[in-house]
Amino acid sequence: MTETLASAVDLHAHNQPGAPALIWQDTVVSYRELAAGMRAAAAGVAALPAGPIGVRAKKSAQAVTFVLGCLAAGRTVVLPSPTLPNETLEALFAKAGAGAVVGADDLARFTTGDAEPSEVDVPFMLTTSGSTGVPKLVPLPAQGIERFTNWVHDEFDVGPGRRVLNYAPLNFDLCLFEIWATLRHGGCAVLVDPEIAADCDTLLAFLAETRPHVVQAVPLFYQLLTEAAGGTHTLPSVAHVIFTGDAMNPHRLPPLEALFPNTRFHNIYGCTETNDSFRYELRPGDTQRESLPLGVPLPGVAADLVADGEILTGPGVGELVVRTPFQSSGYHDNPSGAFGPHPVHDDGEQYFRSGDLVRRTEDGEYFLEGRADFRVKVRGQQVYLQHVEEVLLAAEGVVEAAAVAVPDVHAGRRLHAVVRRREDSKLNSLVLRKFLSERLPSAAIPSTLHIGPEPLPRTSTGKVDRQNLVNSQKR
Amino acid sequence: MSNTQTITKYIVREFLPDVEVNDLAPDYDLLKNGVIDSLALLRVVDWIAEEFDVSIEDLDLSPDNFRTVENIDALVASAKS
Repeated sequence: MTETLASAVDLHAHNQPGAPALIWQDTVVSYRELAAGMRAAAAGVAALPAGPIGVRAKKSAQAVTFVLGCLAAGRTVVLPSPTLPNETLEALFAKAGAGAVVGADDLARFTTGDAEPSEVDVPFMLTTSGSTGVPKLVPLPAQGIERFTNWVHDEFDVGPGRRVLNYAPLNFDLCLFEIWATLRHGGCAVLVDPEIAADCDTLLAFLAETRPHVVQAVPLFYQLLTEAAGGTHTLPSVAHVIFTGDAMNPHRLPPLEALFPNTRFHNIYGCTETNDSFRYELRPGDTQRESLPLGVPLPGVAADLVADGEILTGPGVGELVVRTPFQSSGYHDNPSGAFGPHPVHDDGEQYFRSGDLVRRTEDGEYFLEGRADFRVKVRGQQVYLQHVEEVLLAAEGVVEAAAVAVPDVHAGRRLHAVVRRREDSKLNSLVLRKFLSERLPSAAIPSTLHIGPEPLPRTSTGKVDRQNLVNSQKR
Repeated sequence: MSNTQTITKYIVREFLPDVEVNDLAPDYDLLKNGVIDSLALLRVVDWIAEEFDVSIEDLDLSPDNFRTVENIDALVASAKS
């Protein structure tokens, strides 16, 4: 069941051999070349011990070709972040039952272990971010991926003649959209070299040159682009701009509307375990909102808000419990975890408890409140860390921000915020505190603020490393 | 005699490490803006008692007296008189 993607590549190579499949650095890889490379890789992989193949490769056209080769050979590809510590990676590969692992720098070099080959029959095993501990393995079944790539194509057109930007690293779930759905349907995946991912001017020049039609990325990417554009550039090729992975601040929309004059804007919500589950298409006037709604569940998605053991029917806040046509059947190393029957009415189906708190308003709109574990009590009052972060991000000169609750001997817990300001910004805590106090209840104003030009620490899948921030505050 | 400068230096050193002493205006709202919270208030009281050699009993501890550097200055002045 792993061959669907590989067969699609063969078919495109037959129907449109010269059409571009990948753009990587200065080269364009045609479907003919991609299919040939894939078949060569498949032949090489065939000799390896049975079972899944671990790939620690960084993103490149060669790495994409190699992954397709594994799939063509009927192998499951295990794709954790190559930046994880070595011991963590080895433990993950062993748990996944990967008989062979290819190296980060040389795709032809394998190490074979004595891992017991596992009986999985899925194309991909991705990992969770591990921001709360060791990453978990998430097997994604072929039918789910096929349904997902079809949804992507129906909604955004990633077929022949279309170019889709891929900003995320190869191990991110976002690649299911940007790379794998695109190759499934015959479009061209435009791979952003991780070397230029944080370089805003080069990034903007790359988009201007490769002229993608569909762009999906985390809010930070758009922040970098608008910094570089400075209100004077436009990217007229782009028909769809998608915000995902983090909350997009509506106040940041106006410069994006100028940069992308011909685009429809979407806010997409999802996670590795279930893939995407909600989509919202932006409307005029959304810049005035405090935050963007999640929108409506995708076709085939069942979603409930559960609070105190009951399904919320009216307005209120509850944990999002969701089932999608794309979802994993459960963690590989822990079949139950957050997966299981519906916590209120068991209908025999497998649901996923997202851990995300979602608000339904009087008007029936859904808004992400934050992670259930990001809701903390400070001096007796509920504080949503995400809300604090949104307000921090709205301040002039702020590029990135994170708020964490730090254990405190006296107060029990105190809020600490870390803010990355623009290089040329003179933002200090006096100004920022004034801005916060006009917008937040007093309990939500951080006791301590760190403001500097350096980037926030990130986990291997690009989420802000909160544990690191908390630890740096403990003494 | 005004102690504004001494008080400003202390507040900046203790609670606003990224700020220049001259940037903290004497009327900046330290409470509303979260520079001094209830725990920090106790530290400020201890410091005032020590630095200006006044007894805590002589201080009017109502929060408004700690709202700005000006107010703290006035509090110290009245405690010393």
